[in-house]
Amino acid sequence: MADGDEASLTDYSPDGVDLTLIRWMLSLTPAERLEFLEERVNEIISIRELNART
Amino acid sequence: MPELKFAATLRALHDGGVEFILVGGLAAAVNGAPVNTFDIDVVHSRDAANVARILPVLEALDAVFRIQPERRLKPNATHLASAGHQNLITRHGPLDLLGTIGRDLGYQELIPHSVELDIADGLRIRVLDLETLIAIKEQLGGEKDRAALPILRRTLQEKKKAR
Repeated sequence: MADGDEASLTDYSPDGVDLTLIRWMLSLTPAERLEFLEERVNEIISIRELNART
Repeated sequence: MPELKFAATLRALHDGGVEFILVGGLAAAVNGAPVNTFDIDVVHSRDAANVARILPVLEALDAVFRIQPERRLKPNATHLASAGHQNLITRHGPLDLLGTIGRDLGYQELIPHSVELDIADGLRIRVLDLETLIAIKEQLGGEKDRAALPILRRTLQEKKKAR
């Protein structure tokens, strides 16, 4: 990929919000959003607990 | 810490016939905002019949106040009938039962600003809309609330574009 193409591969608002992430979330149903968040949060907790023991 | 089970907690409230509206970070996420949260915030109806329906659900969820979980203090009807916030820990994780949010907005005031969404198989609940989540955070104006605003505002913009 040419360096010149990179600017078009991201989309941030002027205040720094990743609009591609928002669009991806909006492509999911509310139930899928909840399921995704539940899984991610539990993964974060697992990582924290793993590191608390080391 | 136990595994957090958002849907299971909300299903317990729903199946118990509890009148509530999902608010806070989880409502933002369900509305499509890419935010993380570790607790469930709901505004419940404070009428006596609803409070009576909440108590057995909290019992089944093993809910106690988070501030001193080792004392196992349980919320009672008086707590739930108040405008205050009950910050609880349950077998499925943190759960906040809020009498009011923002400037004294309770269940009845928030109903017109909520939408019904399917959030799991066979589970349809009321969720505060993004416009009102933003308006309340703007009113509160605290650092934590202000920090969340750019993502919520941009999510609302993108939702409107997609309509």
